[in-house]
Amino acid sequence: MNHLDDDAELYALGLTDRDRNAEIEAHITDCADCRARVIAAEAAAAALAATLPPVPTAARRQTWWPALATAAAVVFAATAAVQGSASYTARAELERTDVALTAIASSHFGHTTLTSEPGVVAKALYARDGAWCYVVVTGAPRGAHVVLRRGAATRDAGTLDAGGAATLFVRAPGHPDEISIIADNHVVAHGAPVY
Amino acid sequence: MARAYAGTKLIAVEGRPMALDEAAFENAYRAHAARLRAVAFDILRDRDGAEDVVHGALIRVWSTGAYRPERGPLLPYLIACVRREALDGLRGSKRRHLREVRAGMDAPRTVDETAALDPIEARRVARALDCIPDVQRDVIVRAYYGYRTLAEVAQDTNLPLGTVKSRLSAGLRRLHTELTEGLR
Repeated sequence: MNHLDDDAELYALGLTDRDRNAEIEAHITDCADCRARVIAAEAAAAALAATLPPVPTAARRQTWWPALATAAAVVFAATAAVQGSASYTARAELERTDVALTAIASSHFGHTTLTSEPGVVAKALYARDGAWCYVVVTGAPRGAHVVLRRGAATRDAGTLDAGGAATLFVRAPGHPDEISIIADNHVVAHGAPVY
Repeated sequence: MARAYAGTKLIAVEGRPMALDEAAFENAYRAHAARLRAVAFDILRDRDGAEDVVHGALIRVWSTGAYRPERGPLLPYLIACVRREALDGLRGSKRRHLREVRAGMDAPRTVDETAALDPIEARRVARALDCIPDVQRDVIVRAYYGYRTLAEVAQDTNLPLGTVKSRLSAGLRRLHTELTEGLR
């Protein structure tokens, strides 16, 4: 293939079309000169991005879950949800999340959107083998509990942590029929995993 | 993108090809997500759309192994990926119209992640932009901040497409020189 010439910069600026992008990416795997030119162009383009205006404060997302095709999707989505709050800085929380994410990344999982009261958005990710369950909720009242039900038996899995997006990682939940979030003795969200 | 480094250094971990160290990638996400969201948001004017674009770009990078260290620093690469993805999402006049409407409403801005953008860096870039020839800066501003396509820039400026391309290319190379020399 011929060298990229001007297309190196146009590619870095996002101005080349999809078909051409594929050719460019193939070319720069082999051609160190063009690769260097693209890298320099991307550095300059990234500098341009430094002057973009900031993102407005989040109105809580209603659909922050992307199509979940791979474990990677879960990791990013969960991280994003947890990270959503600008005040999210607590180190302990971060480490706890890391544990949860590591478990998620190495498992087969399912996910479900819980049916929620207005203003509450809740998702549950769960390993199909029953090894873990990860609940991410926004808008839940402080101190809300996650309750797992299997048949007639219920288990209080614990209190959601505080923060922009509240989370709870449950070890060995088994296969609950229903996952509920309960605050002040009433159900604010509930849903059923499919194994 | 999948093709870029396919078959090169994929390491199989428990039967699953692993393109990039997961912890490294997660750290990158933590460090860069705010900046990437800002890039995507400014193109789409839609928070949910921006977040989806950022996820989409990162997932693709992670799952296809398109990124290798020799490809250059991660952040500029990710910014370019997110920008391409967001611009793709803008194709079609309906979406573009939606963007204009949202931009017009321009809800009062408060800073979400202040760390996302560095005012000192912004000033440095503005000074570097000042140093490049007017004709080059003009097409860069139209294309980069105006989100116009090559054809649209050509139309807006009454320039031949080839001229637009060569000015953009020369302008960006000049900008890079200004930015790197400014560091010395």
